[in-house]
Amino acid sequence: MKRIFGIIALALGMSSCNGIFSGLYDVVEPDAMPFGFKEINEDDHSGTIFIDARDYEKWTYINLEDKTADTANMVHGDAEPQKWHFAIHRYDVKTHDGSARQTDFTTFDELKASGDYENGVFTTDTLSKVIVDMSGMMSGQLVYHDSEVNKVLSRWLKVDTSVMPPIYTMSGKVYILRMDDGMLAALLFTDYMNESSVKGYITIRYIYPL
Amino acid sequence: MKILRFHTIFLFIIVLFSVESGFAQNPKREADSLEVYVPEEMKMLETVVITATRTPKLLKDVPMVTRVIEARDIKNVDVANVQDLLQTELPGIEFTYSMNQQVSLNMQGFDGNSVLFLVDGERLAGETLDNVDYSRLGLDDVERIEIVKGAASSLYGSNAVGGVVNVISRQLDVPWLLNINARYGTHNDQHYGGTIGFQKGRFENTLNAQYVSCDAIKLPNDGDYGTVYAHQSLNARERLTYSYNGLKLTGRAGYFFRERESQQTSHDRYRDFSGGLKGEYEFSDKDDIMMSYAFDQYDKSNYSLTSHKDVRSYSNVQNSLRALYNHCFTKKTTLTVGGDFMHDYLMTYQFLNNGSHEQNTADAFAQFDWAVTGKFNVLAALRYDYYSLSDLSHLSPKLSLMYKLKRLSIRASYADGFRAPTLKEMFMSFDMANIFMIYGNPNLKPESSNNLNVAAEYTRNSYNITVMGFYNMVNNSITTVWNAALNGMVYENMSPLAISGVDCSASANWDFGLKVRLSYVYTNVNYHENELHLSSTRPHSATARFEYGKRWHDYGFNLALTGRILSSVTCDEYTSLTDLTETQRVTYPGYTIWKLTLLQHVWRGLDISATVDNIFNYVPDYYYSNSPATTGTSFYVGLSVAVDKLFSSQDIPESP
Repeated sequence: MKRIFGIIALALGMSSCNGIFSGLYDVVEPDAMPFGFKEINEDDHSGTIFIDARDYEKWTYINLEDKTADTANMVHGDAEPQKWHFAIHRYDVKTHDGSARQTDFTTFDELKASGDYENGVFTTDTLSKVIVDMSGMMSGQLVYHDSEVNKVLSRWLKVDTSVMPPIYTMSGKVYILRMDDGMLAALLFTDYMNESSVKGYITIRYIYPL
Repeated sequence: MKILRFHTIFLFIIVLFSVESGFAQNPKREADSLEVYVPEEMKMLETVVITATRTPKLLKDVPMVTRVIEARDIKNVDVANVQDLLQTELPGIEFTYSMNQQVSLNMQGFDGNSVLFLVDGERLAGETLDNVDYSRLGLDDVERIEIVKGAASSLYGSNAVGGVVNVISRQLDVPWLLNINARYGTHNDQHYGGTIGFQKGRFENTLNAQYVSCDAIKLPNDGDYGTVYAHQSLNARERLTYSYNGLKLTGRAGYFFRERESQQTSHDRYRDFSGGLKGEYEFSDKDDIMMSYAFDQYDKSNYSLTSHKDVRSYSNVQNSLRALYNHCFTKKTTLTVGGDFMHDYLMTYQFLNNGSHEQNTADAFAQFDWAVTGKFNVLAALRYDYYSLSDLSHLSPKLSLMYKLKRLSIRASYADGFRAPTLKEMFMSFDMANIFMIYGNPNLKPESSNNLNVAAEYTRNSYNITVMGFYNMVNNSITTVWNAALNGMVYENMSPLAISGVDCSASANWDFGLKVRLSYVYTNVNYHENELHLSSTRPHSATARFEYGKRWHDYGFNLALTGRILSSVTCDEYTSLTDLTETQRVTYPGYTIWKLTLLQHVWRGLDISATVDNIFNYVPDYYYSNSPATTGTSFYVGLSVAVDKLFSSQDIPESP
């Protein structure tokens, strides 16, 4: 009996009004994944960019040379930064007078081993419409804004809205971005969510210059 | 690896430290005194049930119609999970998908949050889109499942509006047992289970574990969803019981883990930790008391495949204390009084800043069961519930009458049902993908219902026919309504609706081994103050089971053909969530699915099953959320080894 009551006391002690085994989970601090450039490797010119692209009104402009990421509100008419290479709006991508192609490679190692950087068709941006206000979606009133979009780069994520919830499928392919000055960058989009699985946070691995 | 390591540690802990366990409302004591011979086909009516009255009572004497699904039924129809079982055995029950393939129940017009699911009399913490996690209800170690249709809030409080489903664990009736089973089928559907138990002196222990997995299922036609997510789950439960001189102490611990491969870069994870301690004591032949403490924690987390971080987004923790006292004034009158106290804590991503809310609930209830004569039984009950955060209280009365006339039993009951607003419904503040907000409403009133049931049951030899009419007037149903000022959805109480219908079943068992059970339910959901037909409840549904079995000394077989037939349903749906002026009429097609199972008892304790599901190869033209997620005919094989019976000289006959 003594053992039984000991076990009862242990069991009662184990329980808690707010739960047990919280240590089982990872805790993501708000600043644990700072936005911008990180994991920069100067030797092979690679790094990772993590951005918050949840705001439908904003483009996030990436400058691979200066390693900056700046946002501008297109609805408010904010001016673009003077120098940038590509930009992200939700899952849309555009270039700064550049062009892009999708490779068959899924890793930078495969790309570098092939040396196949410029073979293939590079596609420039085209004028398109991007959604800037989803709040009227339930009444069928989405608000769009004219903007340049690179259709090839934007293939990194397919969002199938024909079913609910939408199905998100990443291509997993390496993309080659050719700047207006002829410089090349390799881009690999690796996630569209943050560590808490909130959508609209984008992780991009890059090599620049390639 | 972190998960596997934790599973191992947790299983080790519960094996080492569990105290005894059992079922609070253990009918064994009652059953022991009922060792009278009855024909096989009449045994069901002699089954001791617990759910309808919270006291052990013979099924035939319960004044509310109670449906019992026994372990052998589960084995004979070879079902994968509790959803499959309930749909196979009971018409009017439909499990469908809601958003993001979350499982949603409709039981004769009532949603999942209006049907109370219990495991050994205990509530389940946690919900997703108003439904508990039905995956937690493993079938490996089940003695029987009791289903009481109709309101039962006078005994069980909130959520017992449309009915109560109580899953009752198996009690050991042998010195030891060891069962190992496996099932494999289409889509790499795998199920492995094991149970080990022993009785030694005053101790009894049972440990059960189940593992289930299934690959993703790519559906062949268009639909509301294109692929059924791959999933896996682990469910382990440990119970230890100590009995001495009228005292019975029970301890239990459980761990549940489920993972859905819902996203390319992240998986949904669901965990539950449960435990409980219970003491039961018989003062005399006339008095017994039970006191218990129950802990249940249900967590949800997102596991990122890129960062390998497992981040919790939801945790519901319920700590409950309960007391129950029975006093028999005479053999004809029993008074049951009891009370519960529960602390309910909820943290969720749907609260502002991933915050939390908590509240205390308390209740007291009394039930008087009076056998006025040998033929006439009256049962009256009253319960008072109080919720601290909303300062909300509710009284739930109930009156049931039963009159027996030779082979005919007439039952009639009035019962109040209610459902208190949940913490989620009161305090939600959720940004739905930057599209709109969903807000809670602290001023919600509780849902309530007035339930009337009248049933006639005719039993003669091996034939049984039951017809039940039911009527429910439901007030203040809680749902979300578009609020233009807030540009979002807000939880509100709805105008009244009536749910009524007829529930019929007929069964027959013949000595040469044939058993037939046919059931049919008609359900009508009528929204007052609204001419639209907004319910997608199917008006007609039926189930059928035909079994033929034979048993020789070392070999036996049972061939079961089961089917479910669901009518189409036409309903009105709003074309916009923000403008409730336009609707469109939608018809969801009816369908029928049949399953054939051959169970062979090959030798002592060795059973082999083979199942062909969806034998007529039904494939939906379009996969609506309420279409069956089938790709056509599927096949399953299973093996069950009762190791204890391999070593037993007596091979206890089971069905067939």
